Amino acid sequence: MPSSSLALTPGLGSFLKCLKTNPIDTSIETLISLLKRRQIRHSRSCATATAYLLRSVISACRTTDSAKLIERVQSVGRRLMAAQPREMVVGNIVRRVLGLIRDEAEDDRDAEFALSDIGSESQPQTPRAYDDPSLPLDRDSPSFRSDERSSRPPLTSMFSLLSHPEPEHSLPSTPGSSSPNGRLPGHGPSKDVRAEVLEGIGEIIDELGQVDDQIAAYALDHIHSNEIILTHTSSTTVQKFLLKAAAKRKFTVIHAESYPNNHEDTHATVSGSAVTDDDNIGLEAFQKPLIEHGITVILIPDSAVFALMSRVNKVILGTHSVLANGGLVAAAGTRVIARAAKVHQTPVVVVSGVYKLSPVYPFDFDSLIEYGDPSKVLPYEEGDLVDLIDVQNPIYDYVPAELVDLYITNLGGHAPSYLYRIVSDHYRKEDISF
Amino acid sequence: MASTTSDAAVADTKPFDIVATYNELLRSDADLTMPIAAIEALVLLLTQSASSTISETLDLLEKSTAHLKRSIPNPIGLSAGTDLFQRYLITTLQRPGQLGPAGDFKAIRTHLLSNGRLFIRRAKESRDKIAAFGRGFIRDGSTILTNGGSRAVAALLQKAADEEGGPAVRFRVIYVLSSISQDCKQPNEEPEGMETVRALRAKGVPVSTIPESAVAYSLGKADMVIVGAEGVVENGGIVSRMGTYQIGLLAKAIGKPFYVVAESHKFVRLYPLGQYDLPIEQQVLEFKSEEDLEEERKQQSSVTKTDGDTSIKLPLCDSVDFTPPHLISALITDSGVLTPSAVSEELIKIWF
Repeated sequence: MPSSSLALTPGLGSFLKCLKTNPIDTSIETLISLLKRRQIRHSRSCATATAYLLRSVISACRTTDSAKLIERVQSVGRRLMAAQPREMVVGNIVRRVLGLIRDEAEDDRDAEFALSDIGSESQPQTPRAYDDPSLPLDRDSPSFRSDERSSRPPLTSMFSLLSHPEPEHSLPSTPGSSSPNGRLPGHGPSKDVRAEVLEGIGEIIDELGQVDDQIAAYALDHIHSNEIILTHTSSTTVQKFLLKAAAKRKFTVIHAESYPNNHEDTHATVSGSAVTDDDNIGLEAFQKPLIEHGITVILIPDSAVFALMSRVNKVILGTHSVLANGGLVAAAGTRVIARAAKVHQTPVVVVSGVYKLSPVYPFDFDSLIEYGDPSKVLPYEEGDLVDLIDVQNPIYDYVPAELVDLYITNLGGHAPSYLYRIVSDHYRKEDISF
Repeated sequence: MASTTSDAAVADTKPFDIVATYNELLRSDADLTMPIAAIEALVLLLTQSASSTISETLDLLEKSTAHLKRSIPNPIGLSAGTDLFQRYLITTLQRPGQLGPAGDFKAIRTHLLSNGRLFIRRAKESRDKIAAFGRGFIRDGSTILTNGGSRAVAALLQKAADEEGGPAVRFRVIYVLSSISQDCKQPNEEPEGMETVRALRAKGVPVSTIPESAVAYSLGKADMVIVGAEGVVENGGIVSRMGTYQIGLLAKAIGKPFYVVAESHKFVRLYPLGQYDLPIEQQVLEFKSEEDLEEERKQQSSVTKTDGDTSIKLPLCDSVDFTPPHLISALITDSGVLTPSAVSEELIKIWF
């Protein structure tokens, strides 16, 4: 492995270093093996690694043809997603980059049509056109097309039934969102699509860096004085959210320890002795824990959640990924907490960056759940027992949308039923399954 | 559609009967949905009329639509089609461009008139699109409960059982056969949905047919419920064959996902607040005492059925109910898998 030459444990840090020095194909292989071996995990690390990799892929791809660019990103994206299908953020970032390329390519085409528009304006439109059989073709002329493009929002899928027939064969431009790929043959773009896309990826990377602070900005709207907040796992998004509120208000936090997969991190977070692993490059290490802000933090085992729920005012949860139907995949134990909250009519708030929001519809909930190391439940010293019993350690839970009251993303608060809107804002329809 | 008799020739003969055309269209093609038949009828109407100005055409459309809605006992499905047609006309006219106000009104007229067949074909294709989206829902080893005679559901299930587009899924189907629709059919006529049952069995899918009374009993064995819809209303609920609501309630109670398969041209601008808020008159609840029955018998013997009155009331076998959105897990449409709340947005996009 290329990164072995570096004095780092394999992970996000070593990958980013290797990306600078190694050729692009080696880097792709490295990331695939890191994902497969789960040496890069956590949503944000995966997202960051994917974004940086795609940036290198695009800058290494010496072409101005957006169709080729899309093809290249798709093939890389497919391999990354196959390496770790349960890390849905990888697919999310790939889709957003594809969307960027498509947007840039379409902007380009619009600019071109605007030019050719002047020419076709003078075209005679006489009543003779009434029974002119060539009329339908005529309407596919650039002037008509560009009008259709500029007014794309009102032209919905409901109207697509009645809209004008689009000949599949001719014309490079099919602005409708019908054909999934290969619909952007380049015709000498006037500006460099690649540079614009790279800039866009830079923005995605910036977003990944700022997302927790943006979410934390909403903290004071949701956490009030003297409230009792229940949370779970050592999610940094949740910690930042609570810390932001702690600067102004006094409240109590009940922290469920999430044994056996995350309890050590949780203990460290609560006691303030968290050490940054190389996955969390940043300022987390310098952050004071909640207790130093004078917040009462009560650490409880997961089994005590139901008993304490009657006193809790609000449940704030982190998540692994959020799905298009408003459900979420989060650390094991989350569903129990959400269900207990439902029984006690306690509001459940999920904090998550938009990058975790996946356009994938969960057809099969079981396939979303990842199973982890059983030795955390039953150590291998108990070898005799392992023969006799089947030990399973699921890492994630699927939480259905009806158990969640509010999502807070870097864009604000949303009801679970509204998430489909954010999905359609961030991803192009043709990229959802590629 | 292509029967392009000149406008003048038709004007001489009898006036165009939109209701008869609509019914004829539905009868002639079993695969045609109500909204599409309504759009077709309106296209034919435009072919027959000589209107050449925008307001004249819109006025004609409005009047004919109102007439059609009045004469059909259940206009919910067809109003989705007529609304879509009208909105398409207005939106296209308002848009700048060759088809807009600056352009030639006749151009859009020709487009609509010459593409009648195309609309039908697209509507049928949308079922294939739905089937492609919905295929992911049907998993190996799953059992699906369904009801009614929805063609979209039938297409979805058959597509899943087919080899093409991936390996065939091995699944089972529990088909709920309606007893209410049996009442007003010929005794030897088979219940709605039998055709699909046969087609599925021919493809090697094990199908069990159950009466409506056995839904609660059978639901424990099912993994999900998939139903069709006559119309999808603004709040994301559906208007569908009588009995769908109770299946929805039972699925919710037992905790099974309830999916609706519907083409997006069935979205209709209607906001029913409950079962009895639908703009149709149904003959489901009829409270009668012995005295009333006596009266009815007397009337029936004296006067033979008055056609005008009965045609406006929905016959019992065609009765529908309203399934509210909170019972629906997702809508599988040709524009993707939507949550119920996404329906209103699609509608808002075409209306405002």
